[in-house]
Amino acid sequence: MKQSIKLYVNNEARELKVDSNRTLLEVLRDDLGLTGTKYGCGDGECGACTVLVEGKPICSCLALAASFDGKKITTIEGLATNGNLHPVQQSFIDNGAIECGYCTPGMILTAKALLDENPNPSESEIREYLRGNLCRCTGYVKIVEAVMDAARRINGGKKHG
Amino acid sequence: MSVVFHHTLPPLKKYLKPNTIEEAVSLLSQYGKDAKILAGGTDLLVLMRSRKIKPKYIIDINSVQEANGINFENGSLKIGAVSKLRDAELSEAIRQEYHLLHDAVSQMASVQIRNMGTVVGNICRASPSADTLTPLLVLEASIEIASRLEKKTAAIESFFTGPGETILKPSEMVTCIRIPRLPKNTASSFLRITRVAADLAKVSVATIVTKQSNNSFKARIALGGVAPTAIRAKQAESFLNDKPLNSSVIEEAAKLAAQECQPITDVRSTKEYRRHICQMLVSKSLSECLKRFERNGDEQ
Repeated sequence: MKQSIKLYVNNEARELKVDSNRTLLEVLRDDLGLTGTKYGCGDGECGACTVLVEGKPICSCLALAASFDGKKITTIEGLATNGNLHPVQQSFIDNGAIECGYCTPGMILTAKALLDENPNPSESEIREYLRGNLCRCTGYVKIVEAVMDAARRINGGKKHG
Repeated sequence: MSVVFHHTLPPLKKYLKPNTIEEAVSLLSQYGKDAKILAGGTDLLVLMRSRKIKPKYIIDINSVQEANGINFENGSLKIGAVSKLRDAELSEAIRQEYHLLHDAVSQMASVQIRNMGTVVGNICRASPSADTLTPLLVLEASIEIASRLEKKTAAIESFFTGPGETILKPSEMVTCIRIPRLPKNTASSFLRITRVAADLAKVSVATIVTKQSNNSFKARIALGGVAPTAIRAKQAESFLNDKPLNSSVIEEAAKLAAQECQPITDVRSTKEYRRHICQMLVSKSLSECLKRFERNGDEQ
């Protein structure tokens, strides 16, 4: 059975008719062509499918699309503004925090959510918050450095509290 | 043995989104065994994707406002059926009054899963090693259950009947849990051992110790991952009853608790290791409570 839903994806209202068993991940990738969000494990273990719902990271592979009717969704495609990368994206590039790239969209979105909540996280707070995002290239050191660098960029070099 | 791997979920006849508990239980009475309640979905969708369950109807309760919220009401803390693990982690009431539950929820899985999964869902899934079960057992939480015909309350201790099994009937749903306030002079602790941080626990232990006016103690001890359900260690508890708390009493209680468990060998641990770790964790957990009393006699 099809459900009519409206999602606000990357600040754009999208009206869709979706089969009720389809996941948010499938709808984003297959119906909206937003293939930055990845299918990894399908179990909520790897974080490759991370998107932000009302600013909070979730696993879109464990989300029924119909359940998110009316919600604000941010995918990796929605982070850049006017062609300028988000500071977390730029930091990942500048710090060599991308290897094969499969985990990167999820990593960056989770890191953005962290910095929105906590603009000046410690290294252990970063590792704790990112623990649901696995990098099978195992490039964690550079990823953590990139998030710390992004925090500095966002805070304009100022140290908070 | 070949494993068929599915990306997609099995087809559904209907997705239903009630706005009240009354509507939800009426749908449950209509569709019963063919229906599943969706709250967080972090267990449900995994089970559906692996074809372990194939519900025809999904009853999504996320729009049920009366099932949302964590707040004190008539002297107990109410946690609604759609309140997320992350809400519990960030709840000031839980952090201050029930820090063992705060410790348990804030260590669970990942922030993504905590933003989706619910405390009530963790109970209904009834994994013997689910992290919220041991704190809720020693807190003696009660579980409110509704069907179209009746509302009832069950003690958490009587809720679990086996791995993944509870007393819930297909026509029933949990609407909330309630946690009574702790007595004064109480210390508590939650400990667990995992393979990696985000994994399900091999063994978990929760303890609550209350100091009585004559300087003797009462303790509640719950064990996770070492029996078909999370359990209270009743023999260890009665051994501790009205005794002073010191290291030799704690060691004896930990031995008794380890004898009460019936662990199995699985992918996470052997049964021998689980029994050994159970004893260590009970000892450590009670010692932490004792230390808290030594630091400030009237914690919480």
